[in-house]
Amino acid sequence: MKSPYEILGVAKTASADDVRKAYRGLAKKLHPDLNPGDKSAEAKFKDVSIAYDLLSDNAKRAKFDAGEIDAAGNETAAARERQYYRDHPQARQQQNAYASSAGFEDFAGDDLFSELFRKQAEKQRNAKGADAQYRLTVSFLDAVNGGLQRISLPGGGALDVNIPAGIQEGQTLRLKGKGNASQGTGGHGDALVQIAVAPHAFFTRVGDDIFVELPVTIKEAALGGPVKVPTSTGSVMLNIPKASNTGALLRLKGKGVAGKGDQFVKLKIVLPQMPDAALNDFLSDWSPDASYDPRKEMQL
Amino acid sequence: MIIAKSEFLLRTKLDPQTLEVWVHEEWLLPQDGEFTEADLSRVQLINDLQNVMGVNDEGVGVVLHLLDQLHGVRRAMANLMDEVRRREPH
Repeated sequence: MKSPYEILGVAKTASADDVRKAYRGLAKKLHPDLNPGDKSAEAKFKDVSIAYDLLSDNAKRAKFDAGEIDAAGNETAAARERQYYRDHPQARQQQNAYASSAGFEDFAGDDLFSELFRKQAEKQRNAKGADAQYRLTVSFLDAVNGGLQRISLPGGGALDVNIPAGIQEGQTLRLKGKGNASQGTGGHGDALVQIAVAPHAFFTRVGDDIFVELPVTIKEAALGGPVKVPTSTGSVMLNIPKASNTGALLRLKGKGVAGKGDQFVKLKIVLPQMPDAALNDFLSDWSPDASYDPRKEMQL
Repeated sequence: MIIAKSEFLLRTKLDPQTLEVWVHEEWLLPQDGEFTEADLSRVQLINDLQNVMGVNDEGVGVVLHLLDQLHGVRRAMANLMDEVRRREPH
């Protein structure tokens, strides 16, 4: 390993000022940001910085001269990893605010460089327009059945969105050519519409299946019979089997989302809101079978 | 990636007046008053130019201007090389 004196190119007797001047000279030559294409500049500049760090500190320099520490024995701040401006992708991108191609203005006419810049600018101008992002909340039933929705655009105008049946919360629809215009001939970008689905008063959805809780009278539950049930495509008749309890799950095949899933109907027995004299009279006289103990499992 | 002005001051240890001057001189170009990681490195570069290399204020502007042009040239050269490579028969 080279000694810090060798790295900075100064004599062992060099004054602090000589050391500083040597460092300054080498920094001007080797600073990575002043050598954007030279990969070795970073390592060289690091060595120089470490050497200067050691020799510019009188205490450290004395220790080094006395052999108490070696050239790399105390890598400090100067040696720490550092990201140079040249390493940022921005430095190399056209969109960078700092980017300048003013250096080519004198290459006028049909020169290769100005041609290249013209093409570059043209390519950028004629690129497809940017995609536009929208959010659209659709009702539960529109999400299940599909339908046409219209988004009013902030700049006036409207965007018609054809919602496919069975769309799910969070899905994004891409409307080709409905985004922002190109600055040149590239055509419009796409509109990206992210879908949110509003909850429904009594339907819920799990995958392609739809669930609904159906209130039934005590009579319908006990004796069974046909009742009307709402589905996503209108009401249908459902035959309730005799002695169906609260929580019983009945299936309406093919009545799920977009014909793919099923609808599940969960029964819930509801007593009359107002006391019903006839029902009360009947129940007062009614002695249930001894096996009827709904709390049997609780072992009371 | 986006750094607010207050955090930027903290991380660069610049005082607000200095930052204001640097932005005014267009050594730094915050977008909507916000900075980036690249701006942090640019501050370090400006510090190196001033403190390590003894470049004065006028010189810093000249160096940054030339450096930005150099990056523009390097980018153009990279694009040119890509184009040449693309057209090369394989």
